[in-house]
Amino acid sequence: MEQENVLQMQQVNKSFDRVVALCNVDFELKPKEILGLLGGNGAGKTTLMNILYGLYRADSGTILLKGQPVTIHSPRDAIRQGIGMVHQHFLQINNYTVLENIILGSKVSHPLSANYQVEEAAIKELCKRFGLEIDLSARVETLPMGTRQKVEILKALYRGVNILILDEPTTNLIPQEVDSLFETLKIMVREGLSIVFITHKLREVLSICDRITVLREGKNVVSLTRKEASDEALVRAMVGDKMDLEKSVMFTSHEDSATVAGSQEVLSLEGVSLISQHKIQQLTDISFSIGSGEIFGVAGVAGNGQRELAEVVMGVQPVTSGKINFNGQEITTHSTKERIAEGFVYVPEDRLSDGFLNKASVAHNLILGYHNLEPYSKKGIINWKNVHENSRKMINEYNIKTTGPDEIGGNLSGGNIQRVMIARAFSQPSRLMVAHNPTRGLDIPSMDFVYQKLLGNSATGTAILLLSEDLDELLLICNRIAVMYRGKVVGILPREKFEKYEIGRLMSGYEQKSK
Amino acid sequence: MTQIKKFFPYLVSVLAAFLVVGVLLWALGFNPIKAYQTILFTSFRTPNGFVQTLLKWIPLTLTALAFTVPLSSGKFNIGAEGQMLVGAIGATAVGILFKDLPPALLLPLVILAGMLAGSFWGLIAAWLLYQFNINEILSTVLLNFISFALVDFVATGPWRDPAAGHPTTIPIGANGFLPVLVKNPPLHSGIILAVIVAIAVYIFTSKTTSGYELLVTGANPRASKVHGIDTRKMFLFSLVIGAAVAGLAGVIEAAGTHHRLIEGLHSNFPTLGLIIGLMARGKNQAVPFVAFFISILEVGGSAMQRTIMVPVQIVLIAEALILIFILLSDIIKRRQK
Repeated sequence: MEQENVLQMQQVNKSFDRVVALCNVDFELKPKEILGLLGGNGAGKTTLMNILYGLYRADSGTILLKGQPVTIHSPRDAIRQGIGMVHQHFLQINNYTVLENIILGSKVSHPLSANYQVEEAAIKELCKRFGLEIDLSARVETLPMGTRQKVEILKALYRGVNILILDEPTTNLIPQEVDSLFETLKIMVREGLSIVFITHKLREVLSICDRITVLREGKNVVSLTRKEASDEALVRAMVGDKMDLEKSVMFTSHEDSATVAGSQEVLSLEGVSLISQHKIQQLTDISFSIGSGEIFGVAGVAGNGQRELAEVVMGVQPVTSGKINFNGQEITTHSTKERIAEGFVYVPEDRLSDGFLNKASVAHNLILGYHNLEPYSKKGIINWKNVHENSRKMINEYNIKTTGPDEIGGNLSGGNIQRVMIARAFSQPSRLMVAHNPTRGLDIPSMDFVYQKLLGNSATGTAILLLSEDLDELLLICNRIAVMYRGKVVGILPREKFEKYEIGRLMSGYEQKSK
Repeated sequence: MTQIKKFFPYLVSVLAAFLVVGVLLWALGFNPIKAYQTILFTSFRTPNGFVQTLLKWIPLTLTALAFTVPLSSGKFNIGAEGQMLVGAIGATAVGILFKDLPPALLLPLVILAGMLAGSFWGLIAAWLLYQFNINEILSTVLLNFISFALVDFVATGPWRDPAAGHPTTIPIGANGFLPVLVKNPPLHSGIILAVIVAIAVYIFTSKTTSGYELLVTGANPRASKVHGIDTRKMFLFSLVIGAAVAGLAGVIEAAGTHHRLIEGLHSNFPTLGLIIGLMARGKNQAVPFVAFFISILEVGGSAMQRTIMVPVQIVLIAEALILIFILLSDIIKRRQK
């Protein structure tokens, strides 16, 4: 049975500068369906939806709503046409209540007073209808991520949308929250909405979506119903023909992708605490050790002390109390420079502020931190010939899209900046690697390449501290996973005890069950 | 091809500035063509004109480097004026106190004392930044004012030259004079020092690891710190080096040009140095060339005042307009993206 489309986008084109983001993309959405928009980073999913929501203007192409052509110039237009979007980063005012955040920017019944009874009643009605349990008088900063996302959904529902776009909605959620989000989505389609679900995660698409559209490099690849879709077909569609799936870490389900850890202890933390300049307790009594060749994962909702942990290990911030040992020797007071000379390498999380020099050349970037070491320099004199030679090698091996070592870093795209950071870290012989969200912003073949490199490094005996917000990534390659909550390690699980929901429970702050 | 493209905005900026000033000259009743001929060719018409240009080039290059070297690490040294004056005080003091030493001793002492005095003046601001995080723009500017009073104190104190009608010290020992390279027209050896400094700065920033650390600190201090570079030390170090270079400019004016300390010996060199540093977009290696161009304008400007009675301030207006147009070209380039 052929249903009429609620929404159709035809032959959409969009380029940024010389980069073609979308090329003749067609897209259609049927009533009461959850459509998965699947693809790796840089595939054009978000760009396409931002055009629909009025944040970008397409170079060419048409949008048909229920068969009628419409023009959408701004989010305001989009909402008027019944299209809402929930972004990856929520646009909320932290110290406002849920109610205030929802009605912010919309018309109220008593504009001259703070009397929102009418609005509150309407929102409560919506909550009941869609099964959303939210305390409207709570301030949003006190709520967990999953609830804040529901506030965002409620905001769109309150504005009466009938098409809702969700951009990578599961990124910051624990598994329990993902389940609850999916329940909500099912209720919403039952109530008559149509939903676009943007993601790069295969499993989510297969568990919730009615139909799946795959984009790759700005082009339509395939649209399938869930019945037609198989793991294999979707993977192939997402990654293209070039990637060798046999060698891949992500798609070959060897029970043991992770290598066996050596017994020799490389790094150990003993009771490490950190109190910031502003007297905020950021790390509390953290103790763990990592053996040679071990990949030690750190899971947690973003902002629970992962970044501080990485910086304490790298010596960027001095500890307030506690000890850090490396190969049996205490290095608590060693500077970052000394630690790098001892074989530490770091892939920082915030690439633009902590990892990359926008105003310097690609070659300058590729030696940052290691410029004091041979072959890059000797006795304080830089050997630019070696630097350029090595830079060219890295550009080739890591597939960095640039005109050459002398190009200014600021010209590179986000994914390529990430590749520069990966190239810099992995081309250096290391004994301890601290990697924080190393695959952020990479397309699928590049992500897989990073996993292969991480496993390769661990096979040569490097101890790896992998901090990540992507739980699937940690489950895939780690030997052990520690869970952080509010600056504490609330549990460490060995690989044989990996269990998504258990980790999710720890991430949300419940104390570990007494055994 | 890319080289031409790079220079294109500069060329357009200079031409546009000349065009605007030309209209201004014409409106004031002067002949713009004649004025520009004087401005651009005075430096090359006579040996004297050329030497005058070189003599301007020395302090302009040095004061501009005093601004751009700290700028490489992202710090703004607006205190070249004070550092130059304190450098001149140091050089004069040593030149007077030890005036009987032989030249092989006195000359190096004079130069060293001036550079140390200048770098000490920079160190005050740098230390305040290092220790208390006090903004270096404020502290360097404020230290300029103290240096003016210091010059007055020295030039009207025990070393005052009673014969002079202007605050001036007695001359330093003749053995402390910078040797003269060319007798007529007189060119002193300060030019050798300036060339050495310009080359040393270039080699330091482009070939050494410390120079690399300086540049990457300026490009992104946070990322540099995360990768093991002691950025606070870099800030301190670059401000002190810049101040030493400004101090050298003071030495050369005191021991090369005037042979004594004179109130106002800094002229408008430090201010023009800032403008040159900005026109060079902070690029150390471009500074000597931009400084040469500005020296030509400066020498031509005063000749123009003498010969066709156009006020010399016209040249300042032209220089300011060039800078404004160069900055505008940045904005235009950004818009095109």
